[in-house]
Amino acid sequence: MQKSSGLERASYIYTNRLQVARELKMQGEKFGGYLCCYVPVEMLSAAGYVPFRIIGDMNEPITNADAYLPSVMCPFYRSCLDLGLKGKYDFLDGLVSPHACDAAERVGLVWRSYFKYPFTFYLDIPHTVHASALVFFKQQLAHLRKGLEEYTGLKITDNDLKKQIKLFNRQRELVRQLYHLRKVEPPPVSGTEVLQLAVSLMGLPVQEGNLLAEEVIKEVKTRKMKPSKMKGRVLVWGCLIDNTAITSLIEDCGLEVVMDDTAIGSRTFGHDVELTEDPLDGLALRYLEKIVCPRTFRETGKNRANDLENRFSYLRKIVKDWHIDGIYMNLIRNCDIHGYEVPEVRYFFEEIGMPVLVIEQDYSTAALAPLRTRFQAFAESIEANR
Amino acid sequence: MEEKKKKRSSAKTLQTAREAGYFGKKMLANTRMAVDEGRPVAWAMVEWWLGATIAKAMGVELVFPENYGAFCAASRTAEPNLDYSESDGFPSTLCGYARNCLGYARKLKENNFVIPAESTGGGMPKPDFLLACGAACDARYKWFQALGRYMDVPVWLLEFPQTGSKEYFLPGNKEENISYMVEELRAFVSFLEDLLGRKMNWDGLEERLDILFKTHELAYKVDLMRRTVPSPAVCTDFWALMIPHLYLPDDLEALAFYQRVYDEVKYKVDNKIGAIPNEKYRMMFSELPPWHTLGFFDEVAERHGVAFVFESWNYHVPPPLLEDEKKGITDPLELIARYSYHKFHHAAPAAKEYEIDPILFTAPYLEYVRDYQVDGLMFHPLMSCRPATYTLMHVRNLMLERFKVPSLVIEGDIVDLRVFNEEEALAKFDAFIETMDYHRELRKKEGLHW
Repeated sequence: MQKSSGLERASYIYTNRLQVARELKMQGEKFGGYLCCYVPVEMLSAAGYVPFRIIGDMNEPITNADAYLPSVMCPFYRSCLDLGLKGKYDFLDGLVSPHACDAAERVGLVWRSYFKYPFTFYLDIPHTVHASALVFFKQQLAHLRKGLEEYTGLKITDNDLKKQIKLFNRQRELVRQLYHLRKVEPPPVSGTEVLQLAVSLMGLPVQEGNLLAEEVIKEVKTRKMKPSKMKGRVLVWGCLIDNTAITSLIEDCGLEVVMDDTAIGSRTFGHDVELTEDPLDGLALRYLEKIVCPRTFRETGKNRANDLENRFSYLRKIVKDWHIDGIYMNLIRNCDIHGYEVPEVRYFFEEIGMPVLVIEQDYSTAALAPLRTRFQAFAESIEANR
Repeated sequence: MEEKKKKRSSAKTLQTAREAGYFGKKMLANTRMAVDEGRPVAWAMVEWWLGATIAKAMGVELVFPENYGAFCAASRTAEPNLDYSESDGFPSTLCGYARNCLGYARKLKENNFVIPAESTGGGMPKPDFLLACGAACDARYKWFQALGRYMDVPVWLLEFPQTGSKEYFLPGNKEENISYMVEELRAFVSFLEDLLGRKMNWDGLEERLDILFKTHELAYKVDLMRRTVPSPAVCTDFWALMIPHLYLPDDLEALAFYQRVYDEVKYKVDNKIGAIPNEKYRMMFSELPPWHTLGFFDEVAERHGVAFVFESWNYHVPPPLLEDEKKGITDPLELIARYSYHKFHHAAPAAKEYEIDPILFTAPYLEYVRDYQVDGLMFHPLMSCRPATYTLMHVRNLMLERFKVPSLVIEGDIVDLRVFNEEEALAKFDAFIETMDYHRELRKKEGLHW
């Protein structure tokens, strides 16, 4: 691996994450692939796997997956399988796929029909946070744990899990520190740099990732910042962004990406696992209830106002704390989970005075160029109203 | 404008199928009457008999916006609703049924919740609650959650766990799934009791379940008879017949109707009367049809002797529960949970045998293709009911690899007729006939029995 540190190293790992994984594999690491932010990475790590988040590639045209998935489904998950079919994830030793959304569920299951890994597990995830849902989810986690034990021949003790929970809590806390550093103007670290770190962490052994995050924070804190010439500070809400082509485009148009509410971002790093006596309790609570994604249904309450408050009040706090000037709502085409949410989230943001830009994109860097003028116009309008 | 396209309804081959539309109209009329009489009404998703029977036992009249979407599509009145929902910011890629409903709900709200006079089929009245479901697709709860934009009514989400083929056989897992569903059903009963201010009618529920199982037993026997060559019924019959067994199986009128369906199909089987005059090819369809152009299936029957002998796993009743599984159950909620779970997982053994996933939308076809002696499959990836079609290409691959049965893929939509090109589809079909001939020979060489 390249000898570098901090942001430079994060950028290198982000750009070469598959190669880095293969190098680590040569050194004896085992990799447990997983989809989405709902798989407890602590469990994989406790079983001796490096948890490796499977993502797509916006630069790679989807070709092989056409024979397995219809074109009308989520292009991000189509891209994930496409890369798998092209052998890009051939270093994986196992796969855990969650019932996070329809696309994640079906792609994970189709995936293991064609790739016979030594270990696979389909993790069913309830849609509600009812008490019975938590009990059920904990049972699912127990099956995952047992499956990992049977395959690896290793006993995963409560202490093993607690140790991993502490390590990943540390990682989440470090990333949150980086997020907090962006509350100031000008932010000492860009949205692109944070994304590079986030993606890097999702493919490294946890302790190595924590060292990297500490290096990045140390470097960022010592940066000498000049007054910003940017036109506004934006929050990115919606479907995940795993490619800096999007954040760079937004930043090139004069907008600072200072916060996100996405699955490779605050939904992954936003909440710690509580250290409960039975670690599965803390894991169940964190992964089912604390992650706030539209895929989980929250009780509607008495009326619309009540419902919107229940579902979105955390966004008001983000807008205030990060001094947000505008919202970019990122929708990957064919994402039902976020698609149904758009009108109400937009309404909520507009009610608190936020200008909003909604873009439904095709998860392809080739299709980004036409969006430049929309981001430029959005930046101009934000600057005019700032 | 696409509205100028000629509407081509299906003739249907069964007399009972021609009559089945009555049940859709009956549901709509019953809910409107209930409102007039001050009785509770709910909009429900298809939830595979998990909560609807419970709600009805509590005196709630149900209407299913999915069925209403198909109704609007078949009568080509959905487009204004689709446009209305899109103008409110809902992406055009969302479920066509959902967009139809969202557009309709907005109109309803704008008319002070008085059903607009021009509403298809007389329209759906404002509900007292919305019964969502976690099975099969995310739209089943996100759509109803999104309706909060137009009406202040509570949404209840019925959980419906889904299991992978390997996990289905893990010790304890199935029973945990069932227990979870039972707990959720108890919570649903409490929700209803609080909302309606009345206690659950347990005797009424058991009576309804008894009728439901009788109706479904007949529906299942009809499915079995369709294995006969020539096929006594085809897909266009099924898509009409599914209304009573899917939405109203606990209705005595539906049970009596299904006895007639059974009798009609049995008569045809006994007398070797095929649904189409000259059955040459036996095909299967997946998953939902172009409701606006069902005449397409009559056309291919006429041109090529194609009988669509089976279709759409999602909307068929499952095989009856085994006696062992029912033995000793005294709690009707547990019986419901076991039956609904069974619907989604009855093909788990087939999934295990062939080492494939998922069970839903995929494994059942591994059984159907053999049982119904299928020569080819028509897949219909939907622009706006996408999750039902995510596994179509996967099933296509499995059918060809494991059974030498080819597939034809024709894109379209359940509601939006703008994305279905009938002429192009017919041309593709013409070419597909030779492919089926070729694979029929291939199957013979490989010793497959059909």
